[in-house]
Amino acid sequence: MSFRKKLLLLFAATVLLCVVVISASVYSTIQRSFEQAYQERANAVAAQFRSEFQRRGSDVVRKVESVAAGETVQRIALDLNRSATDSGEYVSAARTLAGQQQLDFLELVDSRGTILSSAQWQAKFGYPEAAVTSATTPPSAGPAGAFLKREELPDGPTLGLFAVRVARVGEQPLYLIGGERLDQGFLSTLDIPAGTRVLLYQNLDTKWNPKSLLDLNGPAAGVDKIASLVARVRDTQQESQSVIHWTSDSADDEVFHAIPLTGPVFNATNQSAANQSLLNQSTANQGGASQQLMGVLLVGSSRRPLIELQRQVVSTAMLVGGAGILVAVLASLWFAARVTRPVVSLAEAARRVAAGDLGAKVEVESSDELGELAASFNRMTEDLVQQKDRTLQAERVAAWRELARRLAHELKNPLFPLQVTVENLMRAKLKSPEMFEEVFHEGTATLLAEIDNLKTIIGRFSEFSRMPQPQRRPTQVNDVVRSVLRVFHAQLQEKNRIAVRTELADVLPEISADPDLLHRALQNLVLNAIDAMPQGGELTIRTGTLGDRVEISVSDTGSGLTQEECARLFTPYYTTKPHGTGLGLAIVQSVVSDHGGKISVESTEEKGTTFRIELPCEPPPWQTGQN
Amino acid sequence: MTLMIALTNATAETRPHYGGTLRVMLQSAPDTLALPENATPAEYWDAVRTLSLVGDTLLKLDAQSRPQPALAVAWQNDASARHWQFTLRRGVKFHDGSAASAAAIAQILGAIHSNWNVRASADSVAIESETPMPSLLAELALPRNLLLKRNGNGLPIGTGPFLVAEWQPGKLLKLAAYEESWAGRPFVDAVEIEFGKSLRDQAIALELDKTDLIEAAPQVASGSRRHGTSSSLSLSLPVELMALVFSANSKARDPRLREALALAIDRKPIQSVLLKGAGEPAAGILPNWMTGYGAVFSAQPNPQRAQTVLAGSPQPALKLSYDPRDPQAQVIAERIALNAREVGITVQVSLSGAEDIRLMRVVLPSPDPATSLTEAARQLGLPQPGFPATRGNALDDLYQAERGSLHGFAVIPLFHLPVANAANARVRDWQPGRLGEWNEAGFSLADLWLADRLADSRGGSRPEAGSR
Repeated sequence: MSFRKKLLLLFAATVLLCVVVISASVYSTIQRSFEQAYQERANAVAAQFRSEFQRRGSDVVRKVESVAAGETVQRIALDLNRSATDSGEYVSAARTLAGQQQLDFLELVDSRGTILSSAQWQAKFGYPEAAVTSATTPPSAGPAGAFLKREELPDGPTLGLFAVRVARVGEQPLYLIGGERLDQGFLSTLDIPAGTRVLLYQNLDTKWNPKSLLDLNGPAAGVDKIASLVARVRDTQQESQSVIHWTSDSADDEVFHAIPLTGPVFNATNQSAANQSLLNQSTANQGGASQQLMGVLLVGSSRRPLIELQRQVVSTAMLVGGAGILVAVLASLWFAARVTRPVVSLAEAARRVAAGDLGAKVEVESSDELGELAASFNRMTEDLVQQKDRTLQAERVAAWRELARRLAHELKNPLFPLQVTVENLMRAKLKSPEMFEEVFHEGTATLLAEIDNLKTIIGRFSEFSRMPQPQRRPTQVNDVVRSVLRVFHAQLQEKNRIAVRTELADVLPEISADPDLLHRALQNLVLNAIDAMPQGGELTIRTGTLGDRVEISVSDTGSGLTQEECARLFTPYYTTKPHGTGLGLAIVQSVVSDHGGKISVESTEEKGTTFRIELPCEPPPWQTGQN
Repeated sequence: MTLMIALTNATAETRPHYGGTLRVMLQSAPDTLALPENATPAEYWDAVRTLSLVGDTLLKLDAQSRPQPALAVAWQNDASARHWQFTLRRGVKFHDGSAASAAAIAQILGAIHSNWNVRASADSVAIESETPMPSLLAELALPRNLLLKRNGNGLPIGTGPFLVAEWQPGKLLKLAAYEESWAGRPFVDAVEIEFGKSLRDQAIALELDKTDLIEAAPQVASGSRRHGTSSSLSLSLPVELMALVFSANSKARDPRLREALALAIDRKPIQSVLLKGAGEPAAGILPNWMTGYGAVFSAQPNPQRAQTVLAGSPQPALKLSYDPRDPQAQVIAERIALNAREVGITVQVSLSGAEDIRLMRVVLPSPDPATSLTEAARQLGLPQPGFPATRGNALDDLYQAERGSLHGFAVIPLFHLPVANAANARVRDWQPGRLGEWNEAGFSLADLWLADRLADSRGGSRPEAGSR
């Protein structure tokens, strides 16, 4: 991965992390604030319903008081104080009175606690009324004595908000127990804020009964999930709150406040105490009668507004964050490009230097560390050029010296026989003129032979010195290989103990190269391989691609080379052969190098040697101009 | 002069005289002038009251179940009670002028009872049957044996004190006094009966003097009688039975459950409060005035015993239905449900769905207990009571038959109820029948007269009531 990409990733990751952290922090803070505000709103709604409930209790009390103060009740109370009153006359009176005051429940109860008239269950006359006959006091749950009571009706029990008042005309009091149903009708009269709903659980059974859970339309459907909340309130008789997850969508969640509605426990067996308590109702209401759970008011507030607001905030935050990240990435791109441009230039220059182009320069654009680095690089390349020049100079000197030494050595060998032959001729001329003719012929033959030898030596050196620059053109390497093998075909036929194996790539790209020079280089390698297998063996030539390069390998199964020999193999004039000049592989290396390629050797003793040439399809840039 | 006018007016107000139209209101709205099949008690009484003014039976039974002559003046039967012969009143004519001859009477009776062999002789009608007919006299006194012919419009033509003058089905019936009635011309010239009036509307109309004679709920009549009103209120003997009847598919199949329900019901508060003292708590089908042994069937509640009886028996929730046209039926049914709940029986009062128990009122149409028991059993859906074939209404047989009808608590009698009428002060000499009818033995609508100026001005001769 490039430095620029790393830098870009680093910048992007840093920005992303910052955005995420900031977004999470903001979201958490907003969510907390929303939750708190929502909780306060839900509490306010619950408090509103408590207040509403109290107000409805006051309404019931007022209505019952109104009935008690009415002329009809006063007349009935007066009649009851007369001895021969037929209480059956009043059996339908309660229904009429209840209708006038819009009360759902109203019972007229005589001083013995016997129902004279019942609006809600007309047939109940003559039965005792537990709220009057109970030993416990009439309730004090509601304001001014309103209380919750379970009321038995022909079609089953129900829940009501009741109040008890006394119409006292003579000795015998007349009790009035009036109330309103606590059911869906009651719920429908409540002022319910938008997004809120109210359910009422009538605790009329010993176990959870879904039919007792009412909404505005009657028994609420699909509310079994509330059962646990109701059960908790039934167990503790304390307010409780729970989030109900209706669906997998959290926007459908509702927060339910469960408010226990309690009422007094009436005991129908102790009548006198009840009478006493009702006679002193104000005192009785403070008596603290034991309470039981009559119902549970469930105020549900939808979390949809909250969730949708949160989602809107999250969407906005994600949009802003995304835009920020995009801007940050773009800025990172620009910044990374700006920061890494000198580095990239430096790397490019370094690659060119590594490839041999010591003339590569880096433009110094700044005065910071990167500018200093670029300047140092330029100085280094200049030093390298100078060093190379010096080395080249030294190598040239060394080469000249080596050349001189080799020339001296090569020339010295034929010169000695020439000198000896000439001295022999001179000596024969002086001391044995009769043998001069014979010696002359022998001597001139030797001289000519040595002179030929000198010509050969001079020709080789001349040839090496005349290595031309490559004349590039599209070249198919496989064709070059085949032409080389055709050259050696006859020779290899003679030495039939050498088998030739060619593994040429079916598809090989053309390269830009000088086919004659390549032919010459491969010819040297094949010749070396043949020389390395005097006892016969196998010559293998392979071609193939290696990335954007073409590879040629020439392998023999000869005796192989030592590591030291491998290290010095391409040194000019180094040879392992008795009569070699040590220029063959130097020529090969020179050709390969001139094509921008490289040559390597792998050898295992007693197994053979492989020369591997890699040539680029296109010449390196610094050679293009030269071409 | 002034004194004479005053005396004339005083006489007109206190002495019976002819003339005037008696305005009557009834609840039912019949489409035809005939006794309806499966009628409610109100429909039955309205039809009986109407038709008994038009037609006559061969004989009538008084409140003591004694036969009284009507179109037949004498009768006799053989020992097996299979052969009966009735001597007809002479000179009686139908409203269309035809003679009420033995042949005509035999033809009518033969059409009503196809299983009888009815034969006419010169002035008598013979009735024969393959089976003994010990209760034939009571049967012939029933309203279904009114001797009526039908004209081309299907209107009844009888021998009664009034003839049909105008008929608007379901709305109005105008009857005119039959001048040649064998019992003498009625005092009033006409009777105008409006149908389809609720008891409340009838009561209001009576208070406003828009009608002269109405029906009344027994409890209203009883309550009003206790308070005293200007209207003349009358109650008959208890001639109806209010009872709980278990349907054929009732879930209360266990007799113990039925017995427990019977023991749980406290009839007295219902009778005293809801029925305002009218009627009598009942545990038997027949009222005590018919049988004399009514006290044998105890109507006292016994919740403790009910709970004991109920122990171990299945206790399904029972659905109790009632006649919604009966204004008191719902609250009585609810009271029964309340009583049942006290002992642990769940009874739900409802008009919808399959009923287990029905709160019914049935008519006891005859003062003859055997006939009423038979008719009551038919209306209640009970098996016909078994009477010995060869003897009459011996008390022991009657008791055993009634006992048999009550076996297994297939029916729980609750009350024996009277029927009631109310007439305004304009109606004089109103002697309502003790059996709830308007033309029974000793009591007839034809005997009343109207004390208004219109009646006085029309009255030419003013015969004494007994002179007819």
